[in-house]
Amino acid sequence: MTTNKTNASGEPGGVSPRTMSENIVRGLTPSGSPAGQVVAEPWGYHTVRIHEITPEVADVATYHLGFDDSAVAVAYRFQPGQFNMLYLPGFGEVPISLSADPRSSTTWAHTVRAVGNVTQKLASSKVGDTLGLRGPFGSGWPLHTAEGHDVVIVAGGLGIAPLRPAIYELLRQKNRFRSLTLLYGSRTPETILFEHELPEWSQRGMTVQLTVDRADAAWSGSVGVVTLLLDRLSLNDPQQTSVFMCGPEVMMRFVGKSALARGIPESQLWLSMERNMQCAIGLCGHCQLGPTFICKDGPVYRHDHLAPFLNVEGL
Amino acid sequence: MPMNSTSSVFLARSDLQLLIDRLAEQGFEVIGPTISQAAIVYDRIHSVSELPQGWTDRQAPGEYRLERREDDQLFGYVVGPHSWKRYLFPPLTTLTTADLTTNGWQMRAADDNPPKYAFLGVRACELAAIRVQDKVFLEGAYVDPTYQRRRQNAFIVAVNCTQAASTCFCTSMETGPRCRSGFDLALTELPDGFEVEVGTPAGEALLLQLPTTPIAEQQLTDAEQRRQQAVDQITRKMDTEGIRDLLLTQLNHPRWEEVGQRCLSCTNCTMVCPTCFCSSVEEVADLEGQHSERERRWDSCFNLDFSYVSGGPVRRDIRSRYRQWLTHKLASWIDQFGSSGCVGCGRCITWCPVGIDITEEVAALREVGHDNK
Amino acid sequence: MTALDLLQKAHFASKLPAAVLERLAAIARVVEWNEGALIFREGDHRDDLYVLSSGHVTLEVNVPGRGLTRILTVRSGELLAWSALLGDGRMTTSAIATEPTQAIAISGRELRQLCEADHEVGYHVMGQVASALSQRLLATRLQLLDLFAKPH
Repeated sequence: MTTNKTNASGEPGGVSPRTMSENIVRGLTPSGSPAGQVVAEPWGYHTVRIHEITPEVADVATYHLGFDDSAVAVAYRFQPGQFNMLYLPGFGEVPISLSADPRSSTTWAHTVRAVGNVTQKLASSKVGDTLGLRGPFGSGWPLHTAEGHDVVIVAGGLGIAPLRPAIYELLRQKNRFRSLTLLYGSRTPETILFEHELPEWSQRGMTVQLTVDRADAAWSGSVGVVTLLLDRLSLNDPQQTSVFMCGPEVMMRFVGKSALARGIPESQLWLSMERNMQCAIGLCGHCQLGPTFICKDGPVYRHDHLAPFLNVEGL
Repeated sequence: MPMNSTSSVFLARSDLQLLIDRLAEQGFEVIGPTISQAAIVYDRIHSVSELPQGWTDRQAPGEYRLERREDDQLFGYVVGPHSWKRYLFPPLTTLTTADLTTNGWQMRAADDNPPKYAFLGVRACELAAIRVQDKVFLEGAYVDPTYQRRRQNAFIVAVNCTQAASTCFCTSMETGPRCRSGFDLALTELPDGFEVEVGTPAGEALLLQLPTTPIAEQQLTDAEQRRQQAVDQITRKMDTEGIRDLLLTQLNHPRWEEVGQRCLSCTNCTMVCPTCFCSSVEEVADLEGQHSERERRWDSCFNLDFSYVSGGPVRRDIRSRYRQWLTHKLASWIDQFGSSGCVGCGRCITWCPVGIDITEEVAALREVGHDNK
Repeated sequence: MTALDLLQKAHFASKLPAAVLERLAAIARVVEWNEGALIFREGDHRDDLYVLSSGHVTLEVNVPGRGLTRILTVRSGELLAWSALLGDGRMTTSAIATEPTQAIAISGRELRQLCEADHEVGYHVMGQVASALSQRLLATRLQLLDLFAKPH
């Protein structure tokens, strides 16, 4: 999952086109069309500079990017769950979700696994190097729909990256939710992302449960897939529970199945999808799943809007 | 000569050159039908003599052949492998350029100053296709600047079909054969000239510069009969009743497997389709690593790499790629853009090397398979 | 707390009718292990199966060349040592209490006799065992898929 995900809006299935355009107009340089109306320039890149690189786990690092143009830096905002297109001239472009606090105002974090040629090139970059950025794109996590609910976040592997901005926002507004729980599954104890932050999240009032798929005897924590954590979780009131999930598609299918079996309404399950996003603006056709374009209708979807397409092979 | 919007006039065949000349004088690059590589294609023209006078096209699944007509009509053919999308949405576009400076990489939009196009010979199904691409590129949350720059200045001279190919099914898609809107001027070819209808004030203004004459009752009847001949020649049908729900609930129909065995995944249908809009963007760098460009080129959902995600392509077999194409074109397009993505032009049938017929596939999918849920 | 109290609270027994719970409690006893205790070793013959009432237990398999590999954590409310009921009593993994753990122990032999004698009880007990094992099977499949591995 090089392409991480995600944002927060109330519309089922994502933000409305109007909100999207406004975001983009605010985020990118608008150009005047001959007709006089303001048209977003979807291919407009901003130069960003790597301010800091945080090595996370093997092959994964967080790149803190800052805009060279201070006016852009002031105007840029994103919603938890949205993604940017990062462009390394000479190599290409990849969709990467924003992975840190949305209220940050100086640098913008992107947690990336080096897996393709663009991300591998990024992995060899140094502080001070420049690249291109356009965004933010896509729908975000609709956190306000979960107000008053028990909020359960289910993350698998790198899927925690697009959820992390939501976690910051949930902790900041903690008293608007009845409870916050993070269920996080990692491949091994060595690949747990943001491990050093977990105690802090827990201290600030989030129940954090961690499990790994495989471990040796040195690991005293839980072993088993992350869906088991949801199976076992005791729920106050399933009707008042919201679930935000991100991870491999198979994982999300089974998390959805488990949540539904526990009586959580399908309209309160949200997931973030991955497909081959190239243009990020719904024009290139690559990231379609059923009737939707993941780049602009997603990546965050309400479960029932995608359910008919999740179990069909090769869609 | 004053005209109201419903009236039409007569333009003599010998004066068609003046239409081309006036457009050129107004700065338009005129694109029209001409013969190249044994097919009628759309290319730059300067003169009536470049039109496919006296030629017609014979089409069948997997078959296209030019034949001599018994008369010398200029527009006596149906549609060829080209569509106007190659001018509005070019097969290859440079989107942005990047240069390495002392201040790091600097990106900017690539220069794009397209000519003003005038399209001569646009058929009703093609007008519908342009409307469909307008929805895709101009009417969503994001506007495609490449398309917009070309589309907003385009002048459209439509031509009504007076015959149909065996592959045509525009009547099923309710897009033709009669040109009803979306043109500046619309012609119906008669033996000695054209019935000309006006669609826009721009069309009317141009027409005022041409030596037209009032049209005779007999000419109007003749034009109507010729247009009716096209309607009567259409034999192919597609039943579109409830097609969205039908297709999206038949994703495991055995027919997908069957058509997947025949389909070569060659991408021809998507290249000739006047509405297919998929593209991919590639990086084109210089050898020194100082300059790089983002190039957009037409792509096809039939390419294996099209659905690539980290780990591999999602649509690994031809069955799933054909299913993606057909369900997108006829079903999910409706969710996305409010109309079908198919205009019934029949190009995908003609240019399929193994003659797969979209209307036949839909009919087969309507038959409930033994194992489909 | 008595075995019956603990059973009533366990997820494993949550769908069992009261009458069945009482029959189980009659042949159950409460056991406890310290952190680090080896409950059983892979290949051991054991008669007891357990329903955990607190703490957790990690299942391990010895893989030559790789050493002990932890494959699953069993938590409070869940079933442990099902082979005592369904198999030949030979344990398929090793089990270690990774924190102080309490469980309800039931003799597999006695439980089999009870189920045999009263099919009503047998139906309910086997239903719960099957459901616990199907959940574990599904989880194992997902583990096999190695979902979080780096794509190649």
